[in-house]
Amino acid sequence: MAIRERVPMREQDPEVRITNFLSVPLGYSAEEAVEEAKRCLQCKVPLCETGCPVRMSVKDIIKLIVDEDFEEAFFLSKQDNAVPAMTGRVCPQEDQCEGKCVLDKTGQPINIGKLFAFVADWARENDLLDETAPKENGKKVAIVGSGPASITCAVDLRKLGCQVTIFEALHMAGGVLQYGIPAFRLPRDVVDYELSYLEKIGVDIQLNQVVGQNVDFEELKKDYDAIYLATGAGAPRFLNCEGEKLKGVYSANEFLIRVNLMNAYQFPNWDTPIICGDKVGVIGCGNVAMDSARCAKRLGAKEVYILYRRTKQCAPARAEEIHHAEEEGIIFKEMISPCRIFGNEDGWVTGIEMIKTEFKGIDKSGRPRPVNIEGAEFILEVDTIINALGTTPNRLFLSNVPELNTYSWGGIKVDDNFMTNIPGVFAGGDALSGGSTVIAAMGNGRDAAESINKYLNE
Amino acid sequence: MKHTITRKEDLNAADYVIDVIAPKVAKKFRPGNFAVLITVPNGERIPMSIERAEGDKITMYIKRLGKTSRELDTWNVGDALYKVIGPMGTPPPLKKYGTVVFASDLVCGHAENNAMCRELSKIMGNHIISIQSFPDKSQIYPENELAKSVADEFILCTEDGSVGRKGHYLDIMQELLEERRIDQVFAGGGIPPLQKLSILTKKYNVPVYTTVRQIMVDATGMCGSCRVFIDGEQKLACIDGPMFDGHKVDWEAAISRLAMFKGKEAEAMQCYNEKMKAVV
Repeated sequence: MAIRERVPMREQDPEVRITNFLSVPLGYSAEEAVEEAKRCLQCKVPLCETGCPVRMSVKDIIKLIVDEDFEEAFFLSKQDNAVPAMTGRVCPQEDQCEGKCVLDKTGQPINIGKLFAFVADWARENDLLDETAPKENGKKVAIVGSGPASITCAVDLRKLGCQVTIFEALHMAGGVLQYGIPAFRLPRDVVDYELSYLEKIGVDIQLNQVVGQNVDFEELKKDYDAIYLATGAGAPRFLNCEGEKLKGVYSANEFLIRVNLMNAYQFPNWDTPIICGDKVGVIGCGNVAMDSARCAKRLGAKEVYILYRRTKQCAPARAEEIHHAEEEGIIFKEMISPCRIFGNEDGWVTGIEMIKTEFKGIDKSGRPRPVNIEGAEFILEVDTIINALGTTPNRLFLSNVPELNTYSWGGIKVDDNFMTNIPGVFAGGDALSGGSTVIAAMGNGRDAAESINKYLNE
Repeated sequence: MKHTITRKEDLNAADYVIDVIAPKVAKKFRPGNFAVLITVPNGERIPMSIERAEGDKITMYIKRLGKTSRELDTWNVGDALYKVIGPMGTPPPLKKYGTVVFASDLVCGHAENNAMCRELSKIMGNHIISIQSFPDKSQIYPENELAKSVADEFILCTEDGSVGRKGHYLDIMQELLEERRIDQVFAGGGIPPLQKLSILTKKYNVPVYTTVRQIMVDATGMCGSCRVFIDGEQKLACIDGPMFDGHKVDWEAAISRLAMFKGKEAEAMQCYNEKMKAVV
């Protein structure tokens, strides 16, 4: 039997979409979703589910889509995933469910991500929300941070009957979903809708609460039966090279926070400005680098370069993001590494010195190790530099809780049950790993919720 | 939480004072901390010095400078700010120093001057000298908004000599350092004078804490916009500062980076003015 091809995802034309911040994929229609779902072989042993960090019932959800029972499909996905419309859009499915799909061998795995996004969007359009009130168990849990790990942990614990309070430092909830991922990948109405679910089931989200600054950690310990720390990896890494103090040098965090959280692309109707030049160099090749580059393009940059010391085949960015970036005219400059940044007398960036690299051996990550080729320096003219070199755990919170055991690089130390050295205080998400994916953090939040529940019932 | 304005008065033609309800900020505030204001939902997150915290209120001195401060100036007692967050930042040690000088020449610096002198004067063994510098007589603050009552010695100066001593605080500092033993200097306000003060105090080997005002976005250590370079090491004004050892600050970088959005600030102002005209 010939394998039918994937139902293609309709997308905004690249020429058009670089002028707006609207979603790039347009989403499946009901007919398209059913068509795509029908390709599923309904394997006896659904390998796709083994690839899911939050262990969604992929097979049964797809079957429900085939049966056009979108409502049940939605409730079933909600059972394991608090925010399926978001993960459907931002998960690296090719390394997870879709990567395990038996059809992956044909190069045409089921488009699970887009199917699940369809189901969740359908529910949103039909105002469907699972609001089953849990039976209260009298336990109180405080969660610090409101990103993906916290959201999952909060929902799981709430469903078990705990009274859950989330403390968020920023003025909007969602963590990286709010400040990091641009609207063209994750539309804001999707974020708002999925977060509203938390409040609907009774999770208390307290904004502008900077634990350690205006909320005492000691008070939290007294007032709550358990605490979950998912403060993320919010601190930017810099190159620590000459010229980094110049105007026009941004961390990807700053660039994306201005655009996403503060809506700088709508300046001056929104007050926060951003200055994006004509020639932008983005250092790094992860998803954050792609997001930054694609934002720069939308802000009107004429030339946007991804500057990467390896080749894009070794890049941490998702294939789809690289593909979308290339479609949008982002120029990939591979096998080069930054040396220093130049500026003019007014202190603005004018260029960056790069050095060519070659591969020698394999590094700890299992990827080819890039080494600089002596004497192969050259200068690239740019007026904006965005450092997308990864992030480290947020120092602010950690500095306020010195009794917490951490690694030298700032990650919080936990035991097998995600408990820190402080009894009853658990931790998870990027605050442990120092930078990962949304879904990995969610998986982490789920595991922590299980441990916390066990701890509360001991 | 409703951040209602409970007092709003002019300090001079350019500056005004507001009291705002912000219980959590007020409870934890220590001199050297600052607050983050978001005046309207589509507003910026702007760092703001706190002059004092009393009960559930904080007091702030604001200059009519850009779009946000001018828009806020059209508000009245009873109106509420969208968000008031904090206290943020890491204060310098609040301890016995001996003879302490706090010098300031600008709105935020005057607020910090009042707050720090009030706090340090409570600590046994401190002798507090406050210097507040204004361009001329017409621009000095009302007496109850100066550090007069919280300092052991208070020196008011104007650059044209129209009231108080003649000169900028830098001139007064020069004299003090020449004549007396000073154990610690603090200063806030305009950045170029802070650079000069740092050079001056270094010459006399007197330590100085300076408020290094920088552009912030989240002000929680996430964006790196407010990075300052202390002895070559990168620090963040929002979480490590904003008060730093002035002798170690890379002032050229601080001055340059603070000007990064000048053009955009003018654009925002122009857009606001046009909007206001349309309203009239």
